Amino acid sequence: MIKFKINDKEVQARSGWTVLETARQYGIEIPTLCFHESVASSGACRLCMVELREENWSKLVASCIYPVSEGINVYTETERVQNVRRWIFEMLLSECPSSKEVKEMAKKYGVFKTRFPVQNPNESCMLCGLCTRVCEEVVGLSAIATLDRGVHKKVGAPFLRPTEVCVACGCCVTICPTNAMRSRIDSVRSNTKMQLAKAA
Amino acid sequence: MESNARVGVFICKCGDKIEPFIDLNLLQDKLLKDQNINYCEIMPYSCLKPGIENIYSKVINQKLNRVIIAGCESRLMLKKLEKELEPLDLKKGQIDIVNIRGHVASVSDISSAMKADKSAKLIKASAAEMVSLAPTIQSLARIEGPVMILGSGFASYTAAHELINNGFDCLLPSEIIESDFIINNLHLKYPGEYVYYDKLKLIRKELSTSKHVSAIPPGELIRLSGVTGDYKLTFSENDSGKEKSYKAGAIIACIDSDLKATDAEFWYDGQKVICQTEIEEIIQNKGIQEGKVVFWVNDYEAGYPEFSNLSSKSAWSMAKHIRELHNRVEVIILYNEQMQIPLSAEERSIGRKLGILWLPYDKEVRPSIQEGYITVCNIKDHVEYDISWDYMVLSPERKLYGNTLKTAQILGLVHKDGHFLAGRHVRVRPEMVGREEMYLAGSGKYPCNLNDALAQGYKAGKKTSEMLQKSKACELYLPRIVCAVDPQKCVGCGMCQELCDCGGIGAIEGTGGGLPRIVDPMICTGGGTCAASCPYHALILQNNTTDQREARIAALSRELSGSEVIGIACAWGGLPAADNAGAKGLKYDPRLHILGVPCVGQLDPCIFARAFLEGAPGLILIGCNPDECHHSYGIDHAGSRVTIIKKLLTMCGFDRRRIALAHADLNKPEEFIRTIESFTKTIEALGPIERNSINISKLESIYGLVKDNTRIRHLLCANLRRPWEHSYKGEPRHALEYDRDFSDALTEELLNTRVLRLLRLYNRPTMLQELSSNLMVDKKKVGERIWDMVNEGRVQYTHKDSEPMFIAHA
Repeated sequence: MIKFKINDKEVQARSGWTVLETARQYGIEIPTLCFHESVASSGACRLCMVELREENWSKLVASCIYPVSEGINVYTETERVQNVRRWIFEMLLSECPSSKEVKEMAKKYGVFKTRFPVQNPNESCMLCGLCTRVCEEVVGLSAIATLDRGVHKKVGAPFLRPTEVCVACGCCVTICPTNAMRSRIDSVRSNTKMQLAKAA
Repeated sequence: MESNARVGVFICKCGDKIEPFIDLNLLQDKLLKDQNINYCEIMPYSCLKPGIENIYSKVINQKLNRVIIAGCESRLMLKKLEKELEPLDLKKGQIDIVNIRGHVASVSDISSAMKADKSAKLIKASAAEMVSLAPTIQSLARIEGPVMILGSGFASYTAAHELINNGFDCLLPSEIIESDFIINNLHLKYPGEYVYYDKLKLIRKELSTSKHVSAIPPGELIRLSGVTGDYKLTFSENDSGKEKSYKAGAIIACIDSDLKATDAEFWYDGQKVICQTEIEEIIQNKGIQEGKVVFWVNDYEAGYPEFSNLSSKSAWSMAKHIRELHNRVEVIILYNEQMQIPLSAEERSIGRKLGILWLPYDKEVRPSIQEGYITVCNIKDHVEYDISWDYMVLSPERKLYGNTLKTAQILGLVHKDGHFLAGRHVRVRPEMVGREEMYLAGSGKYPCNLNDALAQGYKAGKKTSEMLQKSKACELYLPRIVCAVDPQKCVGCGMCQELCDCGGIGAIEGTGGGLPRIVDPMICTGGGTCAASCPYHALILQNNTTDQREARIAALSRELSGSEVIGIACAWGGLPAADNAGAKGLKYDPRLHILGVPCVGQLDPCIFARAFLEGAPGLILIGCNPDECHHSYGIDHAGSRVTIIKKLLTMCGFDRRRIALAHADLNKPEEFIRTIESFTKTIEALGPIERNSINISKLESIYGLVKDNTRIRHLLCANLRRPWEHSYKGEPRHALEYDRDFSDALTEELLNTRVLRLLRLYNRPTMLQELSSNLMVDKKKVGERIWDMVNEGRVQYTHKDSEPMFIAHA
């Protein structure tokens, strides 16, 4: 057993657990967006940041991918952590301003608007990659992926055209934390029978 | 029922998603009282590492062999749990997830105690199913022996090449390997593919000297039998006409579509107005030294705009070849303005340097050909111009016919007139099927260029090699949920084979009729409509049987009270819609209890009857939209099965609206809610079915009828149609006429079943009057039925005071 502290509370974990998993086991909530139990964590959204303190030195880590180790001191709601989360929410509000879920979470941290430029006010996708991960890891296909790079990055099927690879299981819609996949799935799934009729 | 099943239930608190809404302690108490459940625990997060490690140790400590997790969406979570718990020998079907978060906690505002009650009902139903599960052993797929490459398409070369490179044996038609004849006639199938001649010849040479390749003498495939890993193919040899059989472990079909010259509609004469395949022959034989060659890409006019890219690409390739050989020849490519020129920037620049002219024409004016000239309308000024030609080249027509088509049909490849051999309709997760339905490559699948055809051949060879390698390493397992035939029960009626759309059912080889069927587990996709329709219950869907479903629905039905209803949701339409409604926090009627199934088409009608028998007031099936069934026609077949129950309910005096079929789209949870709201309203108005003895006897009869009456099950099965079929071969009946006859048969058999049930219950000689008054049916009608049954030997009779007395045959 590995012993360490979360918010000054003594906790025990086994090797291989992450800080987030241990915290949840002890009922300590850490906010997450890009984390889902069914797929491997990717540490993309950085919302689950926690502070690791050692005497007068400290650092911030993403708890969903940070493995536990003996004697660490984790703090989940310090001023530094909250400050970072506020920044992340501001960035998310500029990235996906139309997402109701993100707005509500941001509100809890007192973030109502963003100082960053908003590219597309109707965007609700925050590019966390849960949909692409679930497609690959759970469904066993890779019908969707992130396309392009940098500010042009988006989620979709190759060439943004409906693909026969997609079996239309809807896992990406269910897992999407911001409801963005709902408007996208129709540009991914294809109706095989319709295609056959067209080919005829 | 398996007595040694030990069921453990793990209730997930899921942070603030479940615990605040459901009284989990109450739920635990309720579950621990259930006789099927041996262990129950509440845990913070069952799906995270700490939770899984806990479940792992509890399975060992408590000697559990069935695990139910009361948590969230099984569509997302099940795979992870199956993987993590795999070392414990818990196979597919032994772990279940009940979505209490998305189907109970978040979807209504009832009290947390009531939610605990609802959750308990769903979990107990799952436990009942788990107890009745008899898991099959995990069997290995053995695929050995050579790979048969059939069809003589050009993809054969790459497929065989890939196989021999991986060290596997293959059988090839001799014409493919013994000479360059086929390769020299490449242009007949793929005109304009000059760059491939040498490459293909090299591969052929390599194949002809390889020790892994054996040749089959020229012949025609006449029969195919067996399953993946053990095929037997019979050919009739061209020379002697003798039949010869070959064994093969796998088959790759390499089929090219045939190119035909278009008919006189396009002024084709075979001399100067010719097809693309013919111009290439001229180029190769005598060459074209001078003059003017005009390629008219006439696919739009011929009605195949989708192939214009292919035709124009081969026209371009030939034009390039002609210009490179003789720059005195003038070349023009005419194309419909709607078409896009399928060339890369580099190819365009080569074309410009060679002076190949691409000329679009007005789509509204159909070009016309005269001797030496073609009249086309210019798109800029709408003036018709004449262009002179010495050779006029037309696009070919792409078709499948003759021997190629026959071979494809024997291999069970789908082909409807005028179509190509496109894939089947099944769309499921890759883990659910053993392999692709058929490794198929070439332009017979869908018109393509040679590059694509060769790539498909390479891919087929690669996939087959992977499969063989896995089998060799003993790593290739058969999928868990596939159909299997009990040869003792199968009478060989072949209904399942007609219904199966995976192509996985065949007959055991032998002579005579009534041969038992056999399922190829590597092809079966587990759709299960075949199993649900077997009149003799000879076909079962392993690890997902009718018995399991019945146990689950019976357990749930017994627990329902008032106007609570059951919703059976298919994993592709209804269930994701329900999951999404739950995940998005939408609210709906709490009286709906959802059971997920892989496909509503796999539900035997006796399951529906059982639900009513056990006390469910209403049952709604929520499947995919008709055009989107992932198991081909499951939803259509479910429709027929719902109809039979509706008919029977009406005949017994119940309301036919108690069972309904609905359609849902995963992305439209709001519409899903409208569906269930309207159904629960209907059932609320009807109220529960009164549990008096006459009603119960009627429901028992309905259940007995649809479960055991082979006549009715046969008729129902013959009624299952694919949407485009109006009638089956040999029986061109009017659908309504069939339905009337079907209803008559149902009325007859229903009364038979009721009379027999009563006679068995009495188990003593009974008079007609007593039967008639007890069943509340006219004496004359009962008399008709009972004398019929006497003739059939199902009922015996004696006389007492010159009145006949009846008793059921033992």
